[in-house]
Parts: sequence; C-alpha cells; structure tokens
Amino acid sequence: MRYIEWLVLFVISGLGIALANFVGFDVGFMESLPGILVLLAIAAAGVAVSKVIPLKLPVVAYVSIIGLLAACPVSPCREFVIDAAAKINFTAPLTMVGAYAGISISDQIKSFLKQGWKMILVGIFVMTGTFIGSAAIAHIVMTLTGTI
Amino acid sequence: MDKFVYPSLKERLKAEYKIYLTAFVFILIADSIGQIQIPLGPGQFILFPIFYALIMGVLSGPQVTKIMKSKQVKAASKLVVVAICPFIAKLGINAGASLETVISAGPALLLQEFGNLGTILLAMPLAVLLGMKREAVGATHSINRESNLALITDVYGPDSPEARGSLSIYVVGGMIGTVYFGFMVSVVAILGIFHPYALGMASGVGAGILMASAVASLTEIYPAMADQISALASASETISGIDGIYMALFIGLPLCNWLYKVLEPRIGRFGEKRKQKKLEEK
Repeated sequence: MRYIEWLVLFVISGLGIALANFVGFDVGFMESLPGILVLLAIAAAGVAVSKVIPLKLPVVAYVSIIGLLAACPVSPCREFVIDAAAKINFTAPLTMVGAYAGISISDQIKSFLKQGWKMILVGIFVMTGTFIGSAAIAHIVMTLTGTI
Repeated sequence: MDKFVYPSLKERLKAEYKIYLTAFVFILIADSIGQIQIPLGPGQFILFPIFYALIMGVLSGPQVTKIMKSKQVKAASKLVVVAICPFIAKLGINAGASLETVISAGPALLLQEFGNLGTILLAMPLAVLLGMKREAVGATHSINRESNLALITDVYGPDSPEARGSLSIYVVGGMIGTVYFGFMVSVVAILGIFHPYALGMASGVGAGILMASAVASLTEIYPAMADQISALASASETISGIDGIYMALFIGLPLCNWLYKVLEPRIGRFGEKRKQKKLEEK
C-alpha cells in the first residue's frame, strides 16, 4: 500500500475509534482527538519504519515497539502520550477490527460448516493448548524469579 | 518495488467505501449494545462489541445476506491489519508506561514463548485419537494463523494433507476463535490456578484479534491489574510476532512430526477401528 493509502485508512480507523468511544463510553470527539492522533501517529510511524528497515517483521511488531518507546520513562513526551491514550477506552479501537475481520471471513461459512465436529474440537484444543502452555510456563518462571 | 492492489487512492476508496460505511454502522450498533456480562459460576463471561461486530460482519457476506461481495471480502482482510494498528499502539503505550513490570518479567516473557508448543502436546494426541492422519501435523503444529498457514503450504505444498489440516484450523479459528478465546480465558481465570500476569502474557499468542479478546476479558476480571496485564500481553504478542514463525518451523514442526510418529501406530488404530466398525454397520 502507498503511504497515502495507509494515511487515509488510518484516518478512517480514527473516526471509527472516535465513534466507538462516543457511542460506547460517552467520550466526546474533541476529548478523544488527542489520544486518537497519538495512536494514529504511532501506527503511521510503525508503517514508515517497516518500509524503511530491511528487517522483515510484521508491521504490528514495529507499531508496538514504537508505542513502547513513546511512553517509556526516557521519552520526552511520555506524560502526554500516556494521558492522551488513556482517554481512549481499551475496547473502543476493537469494534472496527471485529467488523473488518467478520467481513473478511464471511466467505468461509460454508467451509467452516463442512469441517465437522472433529476439526472444531481439535481447533478448540489448539487454542486452549497455546494459552495454558504459555500461562503455565510464565507462572512457574515468575514464581522462580520472585516476580509474583 | 511494491505491487499495489489499486492503481490509485481514488480507486481504492471507490472500491471499498461500502466496507467503511458498513463498519461504521456496525460500530454504531455494537457499541450501543455495549458489554454484556453473563455470570459463569463464580466468575463471569463478558460479551464485547467486537464480538457483535464480527458476527454482523460474517452475516453481511456473500454466503448469507450478500451485502458484501467477494471482492470486498478480499479487501477487508487487508483492512484488519490497518484497523488493529491503533490498538496495538495503545497496548505498546501501556507496555512503555509499565516498563518496570515488563522488564521484571523478562525471563518469563521469553520462556513462555515455548508454551505455544502446548498446542502440540494437547491437540496432537486428540487429533490422532480421532483418526486424523498427516492432517494432524498441519492442524496442531501451531495456532495456525495466516503466517503459519503460509509456512505449511510452503513446506508441504498446497495440496498436501498437512496444508488441509492447517487450513481447517485456520478457518475454525477465524470463525469461533475470537469469542472462544475470550470465553476460555475467563474460565481459566476463574479457576485461579495462574497469576493474572501469567494470563496476560499467555494472551499474546501471535494473533492480534485473539489477544485483544483475551486481554479485554482479563482487564474486566482484574481491573486493578489492567495496566500490567495489557503491558505484558503487548510484550508477549510482539515477541510472538517476531519469533512465531521460527518457533513453528524449527521446533513446532519437528516436534509435531516426532509425536505423530510415536502416537499414530499406538493410538491411531482406535480411530481406524471405529471407522471400520462404521463401515461394517453400513
């Protein structure tokens, strides 16, 4: 995608976040605006970095790292970034993700129904296994290192 | 040079404006309904607007109400990445704000990546027991999101049983994963075996929407630790995004193949016996 396409799509996402934050949590547009601009700026920076740096990582990995850097203790704009982002409710950016994701798999319903109960059961075990496996190791290691 | 799907921005907007408008309508409906909490034993299962939007999205497609055409369905999967970026940025900010927690959990964050192999240990025996053959390797080698599907297709070829298994779990995960993950995480939290920090880390499985669903549930269940939980989830998700594919290729697949070789001759016949019985009955 061209930068301009990313930019316009991010603005549309920003409007979606503002709408969700207003409808779901009664936060007005102007109150949401700084937070949305911060999130979009970080997202855009992530895209730009992923295009410039030859190391092939998912765009979201770059976005996440830049978000961390913008809010870490040595960042000059730490306070502003954290306060602005705090106005955006946690689930507000997610509704649009759900809408797109739903549309993007809407041509798989028939394929899903054809899978049969065995595949669905295995799928449930696959998802559960990853989560439990990670939680168990994390819990044990944090107990050993005295973090918890 | 990058290859562009559309010749210009104008063309993209012309082709996709209906998707954006539909998404806005879904947001309007889904966030008006808001969260719904369903008591579940000693805890609760929480329905989030993202679930309603997802379901409305699925129903809008070419196989149900046909509001969306196949072309738009294809376009939407690219938009998911765009829309999830601001959310990932927010989680990244949380991680930066709670950097101390993230750093103090460093060893656990790195080691819990191996927990993703828990998928193989839990799901492979079941798959073999149910009578699956090589499909089981593709189905259970990882959580089977886009990049894993691409990996399996690359290693075994698109017509292989392994790729069929991987695709099946990919479809199942896409269809029920988001809602199931939130539900399962709530249940595990209620059981109280694991520290909320561990649950936060475990949420980062390398699939953004699953992580979102898990973290949304966890932050509702443990509001006092919401910041730390989302910070750890973000860190874990980022690490998974970077190492996930190598984990699957160099550890997941070999382990899967080995386990299949061990299990199939021993318990695979149960599945076969049942199949034979069924044939005889017919």
